[in-house]
Amino acid sequence: MLMTNTEEIPGKKTTAFHGVVSGSTVRAKHVGRDLMASFKNIFGGELKGYTELLQESRDQAIERMLSQAEQMGANAVVNIRFSTSSVAAGAAELYVYGTAVTVE
Amino acid sequence: MEQLIIFIVLIMMGYFFGRMAESRHYRSIKEREQFWMTRPAGSYKRVSDPKRTILKSELVSGNVVISVDYFKRIVAGLRNIFGGEVRVYETLVDRARREALLRLNESCEDADEIINLRIETSSIYKGRRKQVGSVEVLAFGTAVYFEQK
Amino acid sequence: MDYKPVLPNINDNISTDSPIKEALVLLSGVVVFFLIAYGVLGLCVDWAVTRISPEMEAAIFSGFQVPSKFITEENQPGQAMLQQLTDDLRECCDVDYPVKVLIAPSETANAVALPGGTIVVFSGLFDMLRSQNGLAFVMAHELGHYKQRDHLRGMGRGIVLTALSALLTGSGSNITQLAAPGVHLTQARYSRQREAMADDQALETLVCHYGHAGGATEFFKAMGAEHDSGRLNAYFASHPEGEARIAALEKKIQDRHFDIRDVAPLPVEVISK
Repeated sequence: MLMTNTEEIPGKKTTAFHGVVSGSTVRAKHVGRDLMASFKNIFGGELKGYTELLQESRDQAIERMLSQAEQMGANAVVNIRFSTSSVAAGAAELYVYGTAVTVE
Repeated sequence: MEQLIIFIVLIMMGYFFGRMAESRHYRSIKEREQFWMTRPAGSYKRVSDPKRTILKSELVSGNVVISVDYFKRIVAGLRNIFGGEVRVYETLVDRARREALLRLNESCEDADEIINLRIETSSIYKGRRKQVGSVEVLAFGTAVYFEQK
Repeated sequence: MDYKPVLPNINDNISTDSPIKEALVLLSGVVVFFLIAYGVLGLCVDWAVTRISPEMEAAIFSGFQVPSKFITEENQPGQAMLQQLTDDLRECCDVDYPVKVLIAPSETANAVALPGGTIVVFSGLFDMLRSQNGLAFVMAHELGHYKQRDHLRGMGRGIVLTALSALLTGSGSNITQLAAPGVHLTQARYSRQREAMADDQALETLVCHYGHAGGATEFFKAMGAEHDSGRLNAYFASHPEGEARIAALEKKIQDRHFDIRDVAPLPVEVISK
């Protein structure tokens, strides 16, 4: 399944489009990561725990979006956009959406 | 002791009424999606058929605010200790997003196509730092009206 | 470009697991964690308590006020007598530090050993007793708790529980507010084992002071025969299984071959008019 955040897959022709597809997950951190983050607040630096957490969530959201696109019979998703927001205390929602198309 | 009983009653109320509202909402969403399925809506920046003449275009949007119930809040709080997927919140944002899209569709019934669709999510806090009251989803795009031949 | 709309059959963005199952799993995880932490910290409290000497305790609790629910006024009738009796008993059971006795006028028949060396006796107790020996047994029982540091143990566990829940869920949260009253409960109710040990200690003290074991079971027997439900509720909240304790005391009297002789009458100051 091809993915891109441009209008067209470079080098391919779009023959049909099937509508908007999206994937979302809501993930929470646990107290361990929270404690490390509090320490980092004093010393500065990358919050590796959080980076990993959000990366995993993003991967899962993309997977869900692609599975939806497959069900629609598409073979590519274009114009992908990401959005992150916090919907619960300490939890982040990862949201990715795009347009499912058939290319050749 | 009374506090524990109030707590349990609130959770049960949150669970039952929340489930009822959710299933009712999902049924309505599925019906309306079937209806609006035929009109193209996508995040493309240009129309699907460039040969047709465009009469007018306008910015359209649809938004919805859906609140969490007590049961969801408590489970999310517990999840915060152990980490992982907060499954109870997934239905919340899913409903909100689909509802926002449907409202966008309903706001421009005569349009032929919706392009450059974008979706924004934000949370509305209830006051105390840790409590989240509700989720707002805004969907907006450009509605295009073709000349009818 | 054609538009070919298809609605997906399966919605991947939500899970089909029951949310109740998820909630129960999480809840049981929290409960297990609490139990383990409580057990471990309880052991730590036991270890620490044996190392708090009476001098340290007096210093820590020097500012401790008797809770207002135990309304006491100084110079109640019989307080001087009771203080004297307690001081005499102290010598027999090796409690070196000063213990202050206060009387609270009340319907309930009970006595409570508070941290810092204060024993509060509820005046309903005097109505239950027939002899000075019986009264001495009750005071000796409370002194036994002091000797074993039970009052610190109970309070320590309550504090551990409240601190744990405040750490995990925040000090203002619902869960912590539920746990805080637990401090009072654990204060009031020592384990059966500790009560039995305090009983044994009291028996020894009684025999040491009076020379015989008369009057030891007087209080428990009187409570057993009591029909007034108001007093019973307050009593049984903190002193379960009177029958078992009477039996244990009588057995010990037999095993140790203590005498039982006539008992001295109750001092006039505490007999209610």
